[in-house]
Amino acid sequence: MILEARAITVRYRRHAPVALDRVDCQVAGSELVAVVGPNGSGKTTLVRALLGLLPLEQGSAAVDGRAVGTWPRGALARVVGVVGQQEEALFRLNVAETVMLGRYARLGPLGAPRAEDRNAVRAALERCDIVELAERSIDSLSGGEWKRVRIARALAQEPRALVLDEPTASLDVRHEMELFELIRQLVDGGLAGLVITHHLNLAARFADRIILLDRGVVVAEGTPAEVMNRETLSRVFEWPVAVTTWSDGSPQVVPLRVGEKSQRTINDHLSS
Amino acid sequence: MPSRLSRLSRPSLLLITAIIAGAACRQAPAVHPSISLVDDAGDTVRLAAPARRVVSLIPASTELLFGIGADSAVVGRTSYCDYPPEAKAVPDLGDGIKPNIEAVIASRPDLVVLYNSGQNAAVAGRLRELGIAALRVNTDALSSVPRVARILGKLIGREKAADSLAAVFDTALASATQPQAGRRPKVLLLVWEQPPMTIGRGSFLSELVERAGGENLFADVASSSGVVSIEAVAARDPDLIFTTVEGPSAFATRPEWQVVPAVRKHRFLHVSGSEFNRPSPRSPQAIRQLTVKLNEARP
Amino acid sequence: MSAARIWALALIVIVCLLVGLSAGAVPLPLSAVWAGLWHGDAEAAAIVRDLRAPRVVLAFLVGGSLGICGAALQAMIRNPLAEPYLLGLSSGAGLGAVIAIATRAGGAWAVPVAAFIGALCAVALVYRLSLVSGRRLDPHVLLLSGVVVGAFAGALMSAVMVLSDAPGVRNAFLWLLGGFGGASWRALAVFTVYASLPVALILFHARSLDLIALGDEPAHHLGAEVDRLRRVVYLSTALLTAASVATCGIIGFVGLVVPHAVRTVFRPLHRTLLPIVFLVGGCFLVLADVVSRTVVRPLELPVGVITALIGVPLFALLLRRTLA
Repeated sequence: MILEARAITVRYRRHAPVALDRVDCQVAGSELVAVVGPNGSGKTTLVRALLGLLPLEQGSAAVDGRAVGTWPRGALARVVGVVGQQEEALFRLNVAETVMLGRYARLGPLGAPRAEDRNAVRAALERCDIVELAERSIDSLSGGEWKRVRIARALAQEPRALVLDEPTASLDVRHEMELFELIRQLVDGGLAGLVITHHLNLAARFADRIILLDRGVVVAEGTPAEVMNRETLSRVFEWPVAVTTWSDGSPQVVPLRVGEKSQRTINDHLSS
Repeated sequence: MPSRLSRLSRPSLLLITAIIAGAACRQAPAVHPSISLVDDAGDTVRLAAPARRVVSLIPASTELLFGIGADSAVVGRTSYCDYPPEAKAVPDLGDGIKPNIEAVIASRPDLVVLYNSGQNAAVAGRLRELGIAALRVNTDALSSVPRVARILGKLIGREKAADSLAAVFDTALASATQPQAGRRPKVLLLVWEQPPMTIGRGSFLSELVERAGGENLFADVASSSGVVSIEAVAARDPDLIFTTVEGPSAFATRPEWQVVPAVRKHRFLHVSGSEFNRPSPRSPQAIRQLTVKLNEARP
Repeated sequence: MSAARIWALALIVIVCLLVGLSAGAVPLPLSAVWAGLWHGDAEAAAIVRDLRAPRVVLAFLVGGSLGICGAALQAMIRNPLAEPYLLGLSSGAGLGAVIAIATRAGGAWAVPVAAFIGALCAVALVYRLSLVSGRRLDPHVLLLSGVVVGAFAGALMSAVMVLSDAPGVRNAFLWLLGGFGGASWRALAVFTVYASLPVALILFHARSLDLIALGDEPAHHLGAEVDRLRRVVYLSTALLTAASVATCGIIGFVGLVVPHAVRTVFRPLHRTLLPIVFLVGGCFLVLADVVSRTVVRPLELPVGVITALIGVPLFALLLRRTLA
C-alpha cells in the first residue's frame, strides 16, 4: 500500500461542516484508483489530505507505510509525483529544462545534473512520447502537450505513486484517450495511480477501482461495475442516468434528458 | 417676457436695480491711488496713503524697515526675522515660506511684503482680493538692499530715510570690497554635506566671498546650488572650506574627504550670524569680517 | 553556457570597470589611471585610489545585489514587475533618513543607519501584514501590503518634512535619490560585510527559485520547502536592499530591468541567470554612475535619476521584444 488514508476527517474551519467524514482510501502499486463524485464532494480535499497538505481532525494518512506528516519534503517528492489541475508558466523554459526540474528532490541545491539525471529525463520524455518536443519552449505547447510535459516532470522524480487532479480537463477526445492510455501504461509498469476525474466513463474504462464521494462521505467503493449502478449514480449526482455495459465489461453512463425513460429506451435501442 | 416682468412688484424691481448698481460700482476703481509702483513680480502696487501697518514676511525686508525707521509700522514678521533685536517684539506670524493668510489678515495690515517666489503669487493674489496691498520683491543679491529700501521708503512715506540708507550702504560696500588683484584664496562654499552641495556664482554668499577677496571654487557653476563630486573638489584644491556649522564637521572625518588637502589640514572657515544669511545694511560689515578671516588663512 | 559568451561577459565587465575608473569630473587617460592605481605618488593617485576605485567597486557590488534581488523577487512573487523596492523598503528608508535629519541626529553614519532601520521596519510590517493567510507569505497580499506600507511611510515622511524646522530636511530628498558620492574603502567594506550572507543565500537557493516560479503547489510537490524558501528569500532580499539604500540611497530600475534584459539573451534557469544578472547589474550601475558624474560636470546628478532615465526606455524596448 503506497498511499493510504484511514478514516480521515477534515474540517476547513472550526465550526464549518466536515469536508471529509471518516474516509478510507488505499492505492497499491500497479493499481489505478479513480476518485469521482459531484462538485464539492471532497475529491480534491481527499487527495490534499492524503498528501499531507491539510490538517486531519481524525484519522491518519500514510505514504509507503509512514505517516505523511513525518515525511521530509524532499523524501516525499521522491516517492509521490503530483500533477495538478492547472499550471501557468512564468518563465520560458523549454520542455527538457522543465522535466529536469523534476530531479530537484534527487539533486540537492548545489548539485549539477549528472548522467543519471539526464537519463531519467530522457526516459520520462520517452514514456510520455514527447521526445521530439524537448527543445520547444513551453509557451508554444498545446494543452495536451503541456499536460504530458508535466506528467513527464512528475515521472522524472522516479516516484512510486502518481497523483493526477482532473488530468483531462479541457482536452479533446483524442488527447483524453491518449492521456488515460499513458496513465494506464505507467500504472501497469508498477506505479500506484490515483486520479481525480469527473469523467465517469473514462474512469470506468481505465481504473481498477473507483471511490465515489458525496458530501465528504464514501458512498461506494470497488470495481467500476460494483460502484456504478443506476440508482446510486442518479441519487449522488442528482440527475437521472442510465447505465449500459461496453464490450470490455465496463459500465458506461448515459445521462437522461428531461422526460426520457431509462431501462426500456436503452434496451429497445440496443436490440434494434 | 413682458408678462413676467409685469408680475414683479415695485419694491422687488427697486431691489434688483440696487443690486445691479452696487455691483457696477464695485467694478469701478474706488479711489485714485496716491502711491503706485511696479514690484519685482511685475505687479502694480497701489496705496491710497503711506502704509501704516506693514506685515513683513522676509527677514531682509524686516531689517530694512527697521533700518529706515519704520519700526512702529511693522505689525507682523516671520520667525526668522531676528535682526534688529527690537524686531523680536513684533508678533511672529510663522515661517513665512508658506504664509498663513489668516494670521496675516488678523494683523489688519495695509501692506504685506512677500518674497518673490512662485508660491507667493497665489498668496499675493488672495491678499489683493481681500483689499490688502501685496508687494513682492527679490532679496537675493546685494543690489537688492538699496533698491528694496527705496521701494519700502516710497510705500511707507520715509523716502528720505531710504535714500540715506541706500547711500550709506553703497559707500560702505564700495569701501569694504577688496580689489580683485593678486592671487585670491579659493573657497569651497559647502552648504550641505550628505550629499556635498555647493552654491554657484551670483548667489549672495558667493558674492560676499568674492567681494571679501576670495574666489568661489565653483564660480563656473551658474545654478544656485548643486551636488558636486569630491573628485572635482580635490582636483580644484580649495584653500579654505566654508561650512555652515561650528566646530569640526562630521564630514571632515570621513575617509573619502581626506583626498582634499584642505580637509586634511583642517582649513575650515566658519562664520555665524544672520548677516551672512541675507543681504542687508550689515553686509559691508560681513564682508569685512570675511576679509579678516581670509587674510588669516592666506598661505 | 558557451565559452564565447563567458568571455564576452568578462570583457564587458572589465571594460565597464575601466570606463568607471577613467571617467569623472576630472577625465583621466588610462595611463594615468594605471599609474594612479599602482604608484602612490603619481599625479592622480589620490583621486583614482581613494575616490574612484572604491566608488566603482561599490557601484558594481550594489548594482549586482539589486539585480539578483529583483530576479529572486520576480520568481518568488511570480510577478515580472517585481523589484526590490516594492516591499515598502524605499519609503521606510526615506522615513528613517528624514527622521534622522529632522532630529539633527549627529554623526556621519546617522542617516544611513536610520535609513537601514527604517527599511527593515517597513519590511517587518509588510511581513506581518502578509501573514494573514495562514503562515504563508502570499504573493498577492505581499504586494498589497508593500504598496500600503509604502504609502503610509511616504505620507509620514512628507509630514515630517513639512513640519520640521531643521535645516536641510528638504535636502533629504537629494540623499534619497541615490548617489555614490560618499563611497570610500570603509563604506565598501561595511557593505561587503552586510551583503555577503544575503547574496550567498540567494545564490544558494537558485534552483529552488526555479521551482517556486511554477507556483506554490507545483513547487511543493516537486520537493521545495515553500514556506521556508519564501522566508529566506524575503529576508535576504530585504537585508540586501536595505544595505544598498543605507549605502547609496534609493536606486530604482536596476532590480526590475536587468533580470528581464538578461532573460532575453540567456536561459531563465536561476543557476546561470543569477550570476549573470549580478555581473550585468554591476556593469549597468557602474555606467549609470559614470553618466551621473560626467554629464553636468562638475555637478553630479543623482544616480537614481539616471537609472530611471535609462531604465524606462530600456524596459519599453524589452517589452516590445518579448511581446513581439
